[in-house]
Amino acid sequence: MDSNTLYEYFVLQEDGMGKNVLLVDDSSTMRKIIGRSLRQAGIEFDNIFEAGDGLEALAVLEKEKVDIILSDINMPNMDGIAFLREKSNRANMKDIPVLMISTETGDDIIGEAKSLGAVGSIKKPFTPDKVNEILGPLL
Amino acid sequence: MDIKEKIVEAAIEIFSSMVMMDVSVSEEEVNDSGKLKDTITGLIGLAGTHKGVLAIHIPHPVAMAITSNFLGIDVTEINEDVEDAVGELANMMGGNVKTVLTGNGRDIDLSLPSTISGASYQFQTSKDVEKVVVRFDTAHGPFLVELQLEK
Repeated sequence: MDSNTLYEYFVLQEDGMGKNVLLVDDSSTMRKIIGRSLRQAGIEFDNIFEAGDGLEALAVLEKEKVDIILSDINMPNMDGIAFLREKSNRANMKDIPVLMISTETGDDIIGEAKSLGAVGSIKKPFTPDKVNEILGPLL
Repeated sequence: MDIKEKIVEAAIEIFSSMVMMDVSVSEEEVNDSGKLKDTITGLIGLAGTHKGVLAIHIPHPVAMAITSNFLGIDVTEINEDVEDAVGELANMMGGNVKTVLTGNGRDIDLSLPSTISGASYQFQTSKDVEKVVVRFDTAHGPFLVELQLEK
């Protein structure tokens, strides 16, 4: 990939069921843990793409086929709420479901995320079982 | 539930579910983080109806062990992985403490996490703060969680 591009993303695994996921979190540790939790939960994807904020996520979505997005809320540059708002205005990505994974649990902010298209939320910290319980029915 | 109980509950939940490491509240009571040696501190700022800071002070060997468990890799130096892991621990602690301080919504905003690391430093106490410090023990050594809230 051109090192001058504004974002980086990585393909972590290539043995899935034909679906791709995008993990959006400013913590590389958390992206790795979410990826590990997906595998431990028995949820496999063809490709796991990563983005460090909403801007990077939009750039990935412009280039790649993504079936579901797992996104943090508190992030630099473009947070999860602004990302949902911007994504909802782009016809080529507005229908991709987004599941929020965040320390934020307040009804206001989760309610706003859902009003902007988020299909659910998982509270940090989480277990693979919790990821499976909430993400599984969406796949 | 008071703040100290929530800090303990949150730490045990975070470490058992995501770090895969047993932690327990130390029998040694502490009221101050004192002089920190060979330590990394993860920080989260709180703003809104409650203002203050939540910090997690982790000695370097303990931080490397935590990061090794967190990521499933062998970590032998304080690097970006350790800084990111400690910042994320502070972030999750801050999010949990926020739920005690505010029942709902956006009464309190959390900052993005940051870290400080050094051979010897002191975490200064602001004036007029309510301070809670909890010491935890792990198989790799102790660490501290400190919450300072403006009165």
